[in-house]
Amino acid sequence: MADLELKKITVTHKRVVAIKDASLRAQEGEIVGFIGADGAGKSSLMHAVAGVASFEGEVVFKGRTFRSPKEAEPLKPLIGLMPQGIGLVLYKNLTVDEHLTFFTKIRNIPESPSLREYRQRLLEMAGLSPFTDRPAGKLSGGMKQKLSLICTLIHRPKLLILDEPTTGVDPLSRLELWDILDEIRKSEGTIALVSTAYMEEAAKMDRVYLFDSGEIIASGTASELLEKVAEYSYEPTPCTTRRCITTMDYTYSIDPLDAPRKTPTLEALFFINALREGQQIPHIEISDRENKIAVPPVVMEAKGLTKRFGDFVADDHIDMQLRGGEILGLLGANGAGKTTFIKMLLGLYPIDEGELTLLGKPIKSAKERRELKASIGYVSQQFSLYKDMTVRENLHYFASMHALDIGKAQERISRYAKELGFEKYMDELPSDLPLGINQRFSVAAALLHEPVVLFLDEPTSGVDAIARSQFWQMITLLKKKWGISILITTHYMSEAEYCDRIVLLKEGKKVADDSVENLYKKFPKAKSFEEIFLHYYEDRI
Amino acid sequence: MKIFLALITKELIGFFRSWGLVAVVLYSFTLDIYIAGAGIEMQAKNISVGYVDETGGGMSQKILSRLHMPEFQKPVMFNSREALSRSIYNRETMVGIIFESDFEKNLQKYKRAEINLLLDSISATQSFQALQYLQNILLEYADLKYPVKLKIHKLFNPNATTSQFMAMAEMLSVITLLGVILTAAVFVREKENGTWEIMLLTPVNPKLIILAKSFSQVIIVMAGVVMATGIVLFGAFDVPINGSLFAFFLLSFFYAFTSAGIGLFVAAVSKSMLQVAQLSILIMMPLIFLSGAWTPIHAMHPLLQDLSLISPLRYYIEGSESIFFRGTSFVDLWSYFAGVILLGSVLYFYGFRKIGRLF
Repeated sequence: MADLELKKITVTHKRVVAIKDASLRAQEGEIVGFIGADGAGKSSLMHAVAGVASFEGEVVFKGRTFRSPKEAEPLKPLIGLMPQGIGLVLYKNLTVDEHLTFFTKIRNIPESPSLREYRQRLLEMAGLSPFTDRPAGKLSGGMKQKLSLICTLIHRPKLLILDEPTTGVDPLSRLELWDILDEIRKSEGTIALVSTAYMEEAAKMDRVYLFDSGEIIASGTASELLEKVAEYSYEPTPCTTRRCITTMDYTYSIDPLDAPRKTPTLEALFFINALREGQQIPHIEISDRENKIAVPPVVMEAKGLTKRFGDFVADDHIDMQLRGGEILGLLGANGAGKTTFIKMLLGLYPIDEGELTLLGKPIKSAKERRELKASIGYVSQQFSLYKDMTVRENLHYFASMHALDIGKAQERISRYAKELGFEKYMDELPSDLPLGINQRFSVAAALLHEPVVLFLDEPTSGVDAIARSQFWQMITLLKKKWGISILITTHYMSEAEYCDRIVLLKEGKKVADDSVENLYKKFPKAKSFEEIFLHYYEDRI
Repeated sequence: MKIFLALITKELIGFFRSWGLVAVVLYSFTLDIYIAGAGIEMQAKNISVGYVDETGGGMSQKILSRLHMPEFQKPVMFNSREALSRSIYNRETMVGIIFESDFEKNLQKYKRAEINLLLDSISATQSFQALQYLQNILLEYADLKYPVKLKIHKLFNPNATTSQFMAMAEMLSVITLLGVILTAAVFVREKENGTWEIMLLTPVNPKLIILAKSFSQVIIVMAGVVMATGIVLFGAFDVPINGSLFAFFLLSFFYAFTSAGIGLFVAAVSKSMLQVAQLSILIMMPLIFLSGAWTPIHAMHPLLQDLSLISPLRYYIEGSESIFFRGTSFVDLWSYFAGVILLGSVLYFYGFRKIGRLF
């Protein structure tokens, strides 16, 4: 008998089904992974199992069954839940030590030598023992997550539920989080349910469940799953049949193709599932821009750009150059200073120190900026669109803000809608649409005035695999057809692959700035960008 | 101009799509004003009366028979003074009358007699109005040597109903409050949704954005004013219009900009809609108190009277009152227009500068 069994769990929020008929089994000491995009139903299922949300179906844990949060109450001392979001369970004015004491007390654990020993072990595993006096607010993102994890572990839960513990965390801390988890499940026999947005982490899980729009589409060990899709994965080749799709680095086809096979990643499962279901995956296209421009050789040059918030230095003397027609990837964990940097470039934050030259003009006053606004396109982190206006209304609004002629705007809008594949969503409200559609139409809004440079802040965060691949196709096409420069931030280290040049930020400092080829040359042993960046984090601690 | 129109259209679409906001505006401009007019009653009405009659009838019953609807309920008899006191204590009776046993005798013999009157004066206005009624009734029984009677000519508001004035004052307060909150909301909603930055990055002159956004809310407020005037003031309360309706709408238009100016200031310092609500109430309350909407200005402390000169609502209320009830001609309204426009431009300019600094 399984130690944990979920039977046909369905969670609905306001008549919208978040997850449907999810079943799974797990044994003591297993790590069960949930992989999928935002809104795929991972969190909803986790909340149901943790006994904090109502659901249909039943959960059997340690021989006891519950069907509602109320029935789960007696089992709560055995369950530990760490919700999504960095440092969400922490209090920024309490120190590391006070946190552990607080979580011990609210769990009503009596003081004992074995508790003290366990507590010390947790601190050491998390590498936090030198920082017990430091307030949580002054810890880095990775340290915060480690502290959250050991706080969740203090009552020795037998069922650990971690909702995206590694999202936005630097690669080294991510490895450390997995190490803690591995040790705990071995020594305590804990079942861990872990969700993640990073496919690479699947290798560390005993069993993987893939989530796609409210359903579990596949499950098994990582290697089992990869085996299943290996026969459909090819080196990129043009598609000839309908049940075929080509992404940045693969071609997936259900019908046999005359092309060399390529070892897939778990992402392949999402594409093949979509192909099997006969989903229409729109083909991304970009036609030439209407107004030809000469892109200057250096689009943006920052010298010693610095931003402080009180004592905290968000960006510390950063030099950066964005050349004409290149895709520059600004990488780093959450809190590394990526967004702050972009906001300084855009003039949304005043620059505390340093010089900035945009499109050959040194920027000093707000007035100089306004003249440049017409050449810049920007997509912010939350795809800021007006939620009470339809896609069409939004686009028309932005077009008139850029004083585009109505006829021309109309034509451009319908062309972008067709090329970027959101034509059929034109009269819907953004809040009713999948994140991937919102992402593409935000980019369309930023392209209406045909800018020379495009700033994109975390455009792929939380977006599903298919939409992400389409997004990168769109970006590369834009570079090719329009020749414009694109600065893009991301915390997915693997996306570095698609950029021309990479700048890596770590806690407000620039630690790497090189082209993709050079980085590969520098670290010939590294298998992926993940590993390359790991060097930068290990080196300078 | 095209951009200006696009901005306004966008705000209006946004307004009509948010049902909650539309409902609040509709409620405020109709039911809320109606309730204020119909519900706040200053006159004595439906007052409960209890009495103890130890005389055995006669004069006492004659007096009691004069207490009738709508001012008084039918007097209820109590057997003892204690029972009457208890009833007043329990808020069942508001006015208690005690005719002592020698009342009839004193009246006949000495032509002088006393009635004991117990008043629940918690709702002071109502109980003193009741007292006044009783005195008037007794006056008719008193045998005066030199009877002088008042012949009253009620001007401007012949029925002396308070509901008309209350409804109008409430409408003006609603205009103030909504003008502030709606204007602040269009900016703060952008801050909350994260569209603020996108707005900053459009190559449009910030001045134009601020002007268009606040103007769009002035349009909504003006639509509300027209609706409230037609449906509630004229429809439900038969408020007379002795002056020019156009003058009133023009004055309202200037005033709407005044409250939009306060709204701009609120928007500049608030980060969320909750802060907007709190701050608006905080700013609005003194403005409304000082305006004379609830207390006549001449009854205020002299210092407050001086302060009321800087409440733009004061000029607006006095101006509107003159238009509706007094029928003051357009030319003679200049002082009210001057007050509203002067204070309005100061407030609007200040708010404009304040929010402009965020761009």
